[in-house]
This record gives sequence, C-alpha cells and structure tokens, in this order.
Amino acid sequence: MIKLKINAVPVSVEEGSTILEAAQFLGFPIPTLCHVEGLSPYGACRLCVVEVGEGARSKLVSSCTYPVEEGLRVRTASARVVRARKMILELMLGSCPQSKIIQDLASAYEVRQQRFKQEYETCILCGLCARMCTEQMMAHAIGFQGRGDHRTLGTPFNIKSEKCRLCGGCIYICPACQLRCTYTQPEKAICGGCANLSPPCLEKPNFDDMMCYMSPCVACEIKKD
Amino acid sequence: MALERLKSVQDLRTLQQRLAGERDPRIPVIVIPAGTCGQASGANDLIRIAKREILGRGLTDKIRLRVTGCHGYCQMEPSVLVEPQGTFYPRVDVERMAEIVDATAKGMVLEHLLYRDEETEIRIEKQSEIPFFRKQVRTIIAQNERVDPIRILNYIEVGGYGALATILEKNDPQWVVEEVKNAGLRGRGGAGFPTGLKWELLAQQKKRIKYLVCNADEGDPGAYMDRSVLEGNPHSVIEGMLIGAFATGATHGVLYVRNEYPLAIKHLLIALRQARELGLLGVGILGTTIAFELDLVKGAGAFVCGEETALMHSIEGKVGEPRQRPPYPVQKGIDRKPTAINNVETWANIPIIIRNGSAEYAKVGARKNSGTKIFSLVGKVRNTGLVEVPMGVTINSIVHAIGGGPAGRARIKAVQTGGPSGGCIPSSMFDLPIDYDSLVAAGSIMGSGGMIVMDENTCMVDVAKYFMRFLKHESCGKCYTCRKGTQRMHEILDDISKGIGTEGHLDLLEELAGVVKDTSMCGLGQSAPNPVLSTLRYFRNEYRRHIYDKRCDAFVCNGVVGAPCASACPIGTEAWRYIAHIARGEYEQAYSVIREANPFPSVCARVCNHPCEEHCKAGAHGGEAVAIRALKRFITDRADPSIYKPVRMEDEFAATQRIAVIGSGPAGLTAAHYLSLKGYKVTVFESDSKPGGMLYSAIPSYRLPRTTIEKEIDSLVDKNITIRCNTALGRDVTIDSLFEEGYNAVFLAFGAHKSLRLRLRGEDLPGVYPSIQFLKAFNQRGENLAKGRVGVVGGGNSAVDAARVAVRQPNVKSVTVFYRRTREEMPAFAEEIEAALQEGVHLETLVAPTGILEEEGRLSGVEFINNQLGEFDESGRRRPVPLPGTQHIVPLDTLIVAISEGSDTDCVSVAGINRIDVDERKGIIRVDPETLCTNRPGVFAGGDVVTGPNTVVDAIAAGKRVAVMLDHHLRGEPLRQPSERRVPRHYVEPTNGHEVHLRGRVALPRVDMEARKHGFGEVELTLSEAEAKREATRCLRCDLEFTQPSKDEPAVEEQKEQLV
Repeated sequence: MIKLKINAVPVSVEEGSTILEAAQFLGFPIPTLCHVEGLSPYGACRLCVVEVGEGARSKLVSSCTYPVEEGLRVRTASARVVRARKMILELMLGSCPQSKIIQDLASAYEVRQQRFKQEYETCILCGLCARMCTEQMMAHAIGFQGRGDHRTLGTPFNIKSEKCRLCGGCIYICPACQLRCTYTQPEKAICGGCANLSPPCLEKPNFDDMMCYMSPCVACEIKKD
Repeated sequence: MALERLKSVQDLRTLQQRLAGERDPRIPVIVIPAGTCGQASGANDLIRIAKREILGRGLTDKIRLRVTGCHGYCQMEPSVLVEPQGTFYPRVDVERMAEIVDATAKGMVLEHLLYRDEETEIRIEKQSEIPFFRKQVRTIIAQNERVDPIRILNYIEVGGYGALATILEKNDPQWVVEEVKNAGLRGRGGAGFPTGLKWELLAQQKKRIKYLVCNADEGDPGAYMDRSVLEGNPHSVIEGMLIGAFATGATHGVLYVRNEYPLAIKHLLIALRQARELGLLGVGILGTTIAFELDLVKGAGAFVCGEETALMHSIEGKVGEPRQRPPYPVQKGIDRKPTAINNVETWANIPIIIRNGSAEYAKVGARKNSGTKIFSLVGKVRNTGLVEVPMGVTINSIVHAIGGGPAGRARIKAVQTGGPSGGCIPSSMFDLPIDYDSLVAAGSIMGSGGMIVMDENTCMVDVAKYFMRFLKHESCGKCYTCRKGTQRMHEILDDISKGIGTEGHLDLLEELAGVVKDTSMCGLGQSAPNPVLSTLRYFRNEYRRHIYDKRCDAFVCNGVVGAPCASACPIGTEAWRYIAHIARGEYEQAYSVIREANPFPSVCARVCNHPCEEHCKAGAHGGEAVAIRALKRFITDRADPSIYKPVRMEDEFAATQRIAVIGSGPAGLTAAHYLSLKGYKVTVFESDSKPGGMLYSAIPSYRLPRTTIEKEIDSLVDKNITIRCNTALGRDVTIDSLFEEGYNAVFLAFGAHKSLRLRLRGEDLPGVYPSIQFLKAFNQRGENLAKGRVGVVGGGNSAVDAARVAVRQPNVKSVTVFYRRTREEMPAFAEEIEAALQEGVHLETLVAPTGILEEEGRLSGVEFINNQLGEFDESGRRRPVPLPGTQHIVPLDTLIVAISEGSDTDCVSVAGINRIDVDERKGIIRVDPETLCTNRPGVFAGGDVVTGPNTVVDAIAAGKRVAVMLDHHLRGEPLRQPSERRVPRHYVEPTNGHEVHLRGRVALPRVDMEARKHGFGEVELTLSEAEAKREATRCLRCDLEFTQPSKDEPAVEEQKEQLV
C-alpha cells in the first residue's frame, strides 16, 4: 500500500493506482473528459490536472495518468489548478461550444468569457471513442491520424472499415457529440443556461416554435402549466 | 575487403601502433571537408579534381588526400585544409583546386587564396590563427578533421577505441560510472540531466535486457551539430555507447536518427558494419564475454520524437506520442525494459572523458557545467558555422568574438537559443554566461545548441509567430492544451502581425502561454510557450508597436507594413502611388498624392533623408532602391502647386480660436497650415527676419535654393495665417503674454540652434566656430568665416554641410572632416559624404580632438589622438578607444565644431521660465511623446526642440500631429490619434513595363565639378521625363498585393474623368 496525502487528507491506496482513483476514493471531485473507468488512462483533455509537490518544485500533472507515489502531496483544487482548468474550458468553449458537458463544466467553473475566435468543431480529440473501439469492442476500427493541427480521428485512409460493426460505442462514449447544447445566441460561446437553471428561452413567449433538440429540458418543464 | 576480427584488447593496441607507425608525418595531407554543408557547396567537385590531379601527376607518394566531415566553418565551404602546416583555403573555386594540389606537392602556400581578415585586411595562413577558430576550444569538432568517417582504421590510427580498450582492461563498470559522474558531464540534449547519475540508475536495474539509445532526432530549426558529429565521426558515438554499455550492463543499443540525415545514416551504417567485422560490436567484444547489439532506427521525421518517451514509442513501431513519466525510461523504457537515452554529443564526450580522465575533463568549463558545448551559430552574423566553446563563456564572445559581429549594417538585437523550445535573449544581456542554469533563469534553454542571431531587421513578433507555426504543426496533438494552445497562440500572433491585434491580446497570450506550460504532459508542450514568453518579456514594446501604433519597425510583418516606402515615411507619403502615376504619365495626380501628405514637397524632394529608399524592396537583397526622392523632385519641379486644392473646412468654432506658433520652420508652418485648413486663426512668430527656420539658416543653398523655400512658404500662407518676423520668444513675447493677448493655445517649434561644445580649453578663440553659427553667418548674412586650412569636427549632416560650405568659400585652402569612428558609422547621409569628397573635402576617421593650440590670440592648430575600435557597446557599435601616445598636431586656421546640436539653451530656459518642463542638459523640451503636450495645458511642442537635431520630414510629421492634437484640445476632446494600418488602398493600374529587372537605378544628374566648387548654385538637377518614367517602372509595386481593380473604386473613375 502507498501512503499519500490528498488535500492534506492522508490516504493509502494500492500500488499502481492513479491519483484520480485515490481522489475519487476520498470523494474529491476532479473533472475529466477523456477518462472513463474501464478504458486505459490517456491524459488528453488535461482537465484533471492536480498540483503535486511542494514549493518551487511543485507541478501540475494529469491525475488520470500519474501513478501514486509514497509520501506524495496532492492538491486537487489549488488556485493554480483552477486557473488552468478555467483556461482549458475557455479553449474548449472556443472550439467546441455545442457540447453540453463542456458548457456545464464551464458554468461550474464560472468561466464568464471566451476570448478566442469562435470555432464550431465537433471533436476535442479526447480519444475515448478509439479506446472504446479497441479495448471494449475489440474492433480496432478507428484511431488517430496525423499530428498537431492536422490530427483527426477516423478509420484507416478514411474509408469504411471492415472491422467496424456499427456498434455505436464510439458515439455513446463521446463527451462532445452527444447532448448538444442549443443555446439561443449562437454568436456567443457561453450558454450556461442548463446549469444555471435560467434558460434564456424562458422569457420568450412563443418558445413552442423554437427549434430545440433538448428534450426533455428544464425550461420546457418549468413553463408547462 | 573484409577486416580481420580483433580477438583481444591487445590486438587492438597492436593494430593501433602498427597503423600509427605506418604513417609518415612529413607527407602533406590535403583534407577536404565533405559533410552535408561541404557537399552542398561543391566539395565533391574538389575531391574529384584532387583525386584526378594526384593520380594523373603521379603524386600518390607525395600527397595524401583525406575526405572528412564538417570542420565547423560552414560559411567558408568548400574549404581545403593542408596538414601538417594547417594551411586553410576558404571558399575554394573548382578552377583553383589543381593549383592547390600542385602547390602542396611543392610545399608552397598560395598566398592569394588564403583567408583574408575583413577588418585588418591581412591574409592568414593557418587555420588555428583565424579568429573564428582561434577563440574556440574544439575538443569534439576538431576530431572531424583527423578522421575519414568511412574508415574505421583511420579512427583507430588516431587512438580511437582506445578508451574502450582502457575500460576493458580495467574491467570495473563502477569505476566508469564514477568517472562520468566526476567529470560532471550533463546531457547535451538540452535538459542537462547528469549523465553519470542516469547511468548509475540504469546499472542498478536488475534486468537481463537493458537498452541504450542515442537520440539523433535533431529537429530544431537552425541546429545541426549532431548531424556533423554523426557524419564526421560516427565511431566516437559508437565508442561512447560501448563504454556506456559496459558501465551499465546494457545489452542492446539503438541509434535513433532522423530520416532527413541521409549522409549521417550512410556513415553510421558503414561504421556499424566495420565495427562488427572488427569484433567491436556483437557477442564477445574484443574477446571478452561482453555482448552489445547496436542497431540503427530511422525516425520518420516528427519533431516530437526527440522527446524521450515519444522516441521510445517510435522505436517500438508505434505512433510517436509521449506518455506520462513516471514511470521513467530507466525503469520502464523500450518494450518495458530499462532504457537510458543520451544525445549524440553526450555520447561523443564519453571517450574523451575516459581518455583524458575525469579530473582533466572537469577543468574545462564552469562550475556544475563542465566540458565544451557545440553551438550552431546561424542567422545575421558574419561567421556562421559550428562553434565549440567551454561552457560558461558569454554570449558576447560567441556572437562577436567568434561570430565576427553583425553580417550587415543593422545592429544585432538578440539571439535565440534552444530552438522552438527556447527563447530570445536581448543584446543587453549578452554578458550572460552560457550554461544550463543561467539560460533557464533568462527564460530560454540551452536546448541542443542552436543559436540564431537576430538583428534590427528581424521582427520579434514574427519570430514568435514562426516558432508557434512550427510547434502547432509539430505538437503530437495528444494534450488538448498543447495542440489547441499552440494553434490559438499562433492565431493571436498572426492577428498582431497583421495589425489587427487588440488591447487584451497580450494578456490573453501570456495567460494562455502560462497554462500551456503548466498543463502539458511532455517537454515539447511545457516549453512550447517559451518563444512567446521570452519575446514578451524582453520585446514587449515591439508587440505594443504592432498593436497600438500599427507599425513593424523591422519592416517584416506584411500586414502592417503594406508598401514599405509609405510605411517608412514619417508623414505617410504614398510613394508607390505617385511613382505609379509617373509611370503612367499622370503627373498632376502624382503631385496631388505628394502634396496631400506633405506641405513642403519641393523642400523634401531636395533634402529629405528618404527613409522610403532605405526600405524599398527593389533595394533589398543586393538590388538598388528606386530613386524615390529624384522622382519626387521631377514632379515638384514640373507641377504647379496651385493644381492641388486642399480641403478647407468652414467652422464657426474654429474661426473664434487663435493659435500662436513659435518658430516658422517646417514643424511650425506645417502645423499652421493644417490648423488653417481646419479654420483656425494662426499667428506664426519668427525671431529672424525671414520665415523658414532651419531650412534657411542651416541648409546650404546648393542643396536647397532660397527661391524654392520662398515659393513653398508663399503657397502655404493664406488668410488664416499671419507671420510676425523679428519677434522672439523671451525677448518680445512670453507664453503668459500670448495667453493674455487672447491666444487659446501655443505651439513651440523653435528648433535646435546651438552646437554642443568640445569642452576643450581655447574653444572661444577667434577661428573656432560652432557649426550652426558658421552656417547661419553665411546663409543669412553672406559672411565667409572660413579661412586657410579648415577643420570640421563631427560626422553628422551639420559637419558635412559646414565642410561643403567652407570648401566653396574664397579664402579656403583645404577642408578636412575629423570623425571619431569609421566612415560606415557616420550619421551623415552617405550621398552627402560622397558629394563632399568629390568636391575635395578630406575625411579623417578614427581621430578625436584633445587640445586647441593658440598663437597670437588666434587658433593655430588642433591636437588629435588616434582611436581604434574597441569592444561592442550596448548599441552594437564598436566603441572608439583612444590609443595612448598617438597624439599629433594638425595645423588649422579655422575649426568648425559640429558635434551634435542642442536647442538654443537660452530659448529653452525661457520656456523654463514660462513654467515649461525642460531637460536643461539635453537642451530640449519634455513632452508626452504621444500627444506632444507639455506640462502646461494648452502648450504643445514639437520638431527639433523636442527631439534634438533631426530631419525635415520628422519635423513635418510633428507639425501634422500637433495640428490634430491642438484641434482635439481646443474642442475639449481626448488627445488621441488612433493609429491606422498604412496598407495601400487605392488601385493604380500598372503599366506594361516588363523590363523592370534589367536596368539599374537612374544616375542623378549633377552640375559639373568646376561649377560646384566655387558656386552655391544647386548641385542636383531634375531627371528628364524619359528618365523619370523609366525609373518609375522599376518600382516593384508592392501595393498591388493589397489592392484590387474594382468598378466601384472611386480613384480609378476619377482618374479617367480627369484624363478626359
């Protein structure tokens, strides 16, 4: 067993487990978009960063991939951690505003601005789908291609894969594709409506006519008499 | 020919002794470096000819030929080195190679082909005495000269594999690790982890299979030292790895070389085969029980594969993507086996440590940073190439002493170290010692050792953008922050470089950079923001210039520069536009374009310092700039000023306001003109009897005829402008009295009228004149003050003007200008210096006056001391240092002192008395540089009185700015003039002049020499129409990149109408 302290709470966990597992065991919330139990840790989204070490030598590491060490001191929500998470969420809002999960997280972290040029991408390249396909569906149909700004996910040579059984596991696991956020002001990235429980459509008299994919939605439920 | 396997250490020793004994040290060896750099410059041809000559003339017994890797002085490739004398022939012409072979056979040296020092102009024979080599400590690179990389016997002959023999005889792995630890060797890949410690950790791993890796995935732009080591001396790396394998118990080795290094791969494969044949690799090395398999893996060319965990994935055949550390490679590396990874240069250092002993090795370099490091010195520096120096030397010594300083006239402003992960260090910090720790403290890193020198023509925003573009392509893309963060940083930098950056961009950039650094998994992401952070730290002002002023001072960022001629002009004259009109024969439109920006077109056409021509793209890269000023002169001489009708505003408020302008020079009159156009009533006060200020009193008539000034001023004066001559501030009026008289605002523009003093005894003697007094006496009163032998001290325009005026005066025998630096550094316009020399003015440089001699109450001579150029000062120029004992006396009858002018201190102190904030020492008025507002509300100042002596066009620019500011001030609006991007907006259809590149710049017509020497008539003449049109078609039309022909373009329509 390895002994370490998370937010000054001592805990002992099995060797080989990660900081994320240890923190979840203690009940400390750590947001993550690319980690799901049952799939191998990857460390792509960087939202789960925590601060380890003390003083000048302290650093941020992704808790989903960092193995616990004897005597390690971990802070899961220090100012530095929160600052980093807010910036990551701002970046995500800047390119992928239609994910409800991202919108909710941004609300929870009080991200109030999005200062980059707005993009409308559908993928944050967390790689969950590829891992799902490989590790749980045993299909190996999709994977990463290219690097840097040319990185994409797809089948080899982008043609229909014979390995793919159309199981839908990739769509099921995706944090960005499912649950589209349909905020009413497309020119603004930050919606926050659902998490704040004050959907902007509430004030609109004829919300029945609005094209809305959110069903059921709190707004509609509240307005119903 | 198969090599015979060596069965014991003794066999190796015997072989070495035999090979060394066979060599006759008296036979000269022609060494031709043929690394990638050499081959690219034509070394293969030299080798071919050398072989032909040696065989053809039967010289095989008299000369030996050795083909080696790069020697480091890549700038001078293809070069030839003749041993044993060490004669160095740089940049050898193929035609000359036969001569060199011939001379070598006869034991002669070809003097005319030797290296020539640019400063001293002395030819240097021996390589070791050439400044570039002399100041280096070439432990590793020098080995390249001694061995042919494809011949293992060559390496053994010079003692190669001797270190391996030593440790095998000693048979104590622990001792080897201790030696490396004691030597203090740190990883040369950039991070600087102690190599001995890494080995110790690997040795402690109790596993049957362990790996050693040589990281030769050298991908930094501008760094190529690893390539040169691999190409030139592959066996030193193999020997280093063998020693490492023995020390750590590693069984397998991998050389990871990027595929872009074909020559290195070729030489390594040959070296591996030969080493195996000799029994130096494989099972039972040199008859011992040690086994070490070494293979080569070619990297497919991803920058990130230089990161150790990504590199291991790549070796395993997977996608080159980093993974979390811990576990560290030394615990779980390739195929989960313990692995130690070191850089090429680190491995090449190992045999040297063993051969010379750790104590000897640790003596070189600085504390905690022992040994030497190879840097690839590239960029805007005179000597480029590979430079090997002890750790801890200063950047200065590399850039200036070895690199020879700037390549061109522009000053060096920074070096970039460490490639895309590194940062920029400004020239003010060039005293920084180069070691791992101080570079990190300065915000950069050692990296693999790339060193890119940048001068004033490098834009730091562009540099950061370049590296960010590189990184956004080369990030593996795994971490969201690194992938998206580099994209976003590039996006922001791109906006800034296009002039559409905003106020929040810099903060956002800094915040984002901090988070990318913090949250990325591997070294690439963690150091990716360094280029941005370090340029922001040291060159924030350049970013601000792009964002707020929409200017790129290096003229690099196309989006803000537009057409460089217009961008360079302080008053934004669209030179490209009027040149285009001239080419089309539309002279009236050309005049309107000029006049719109400039109220003094005829004056500027004669005396402007034409920054437009300095930045003309036709003049870049060895071409000749378009003669823009001559073209302006052509237009202003033939066009009637009245064709331009400025836009006048009738404004009731403005008509009630009265403005006082003190000084009727270009700044004052420009402000008066533009204020008058806005409807204000302006009174201009002039202390002299005629308006014109410095145009009149300082600029001689042979450059600017009086009639031109008068005509220009007459055309500006209108009903709103009153000029009151013979009225001086302080004598006739004060600022208080002006306000009392009812003036609503005051603009101070009385110029700089006093020369600084030499501070030598005897300066007040008859015969000694400040230049401004001398020029004024002549220009205003026609007095000829110069007599006999005339000396002028100074190097500015004022000095040259004084000299040229003196040479025309009747009682003058000779005129000499004395300047303390060299002619290249003289601030005067080059063409003025040239013209002065043509007219018979002598120039003496590198001298400074030390005393004034008196005879019969009059000047009789001046004592001068010789200077030499010393160290580089912060400005990047070399400081003149007096040489003791070189004092000498020059007999002179007249001495004109022209060492920079200050404002008239009396006038400035008058301003001071009027409660205006002044800098007494510099003799200037202090203003807010943005608004030109003095400390007193309603009082503005501009022109020379604020800047010190400056150009006419800058004074006009100040006048224009003040007109805007005064208008805002009187209307109670905020004093701001938002900067706009000066990109071309008007489309002018190009003519069909296709012979553009075939002709050179037009020669300026001048009055013949005899007339010039004695007359004060104008020297330069106007171009003929044919000449002007031809010159105008030489314009490259940079504007066409920004403009489009379109139907609704009003300019085009208007032009057509006017033509009809």
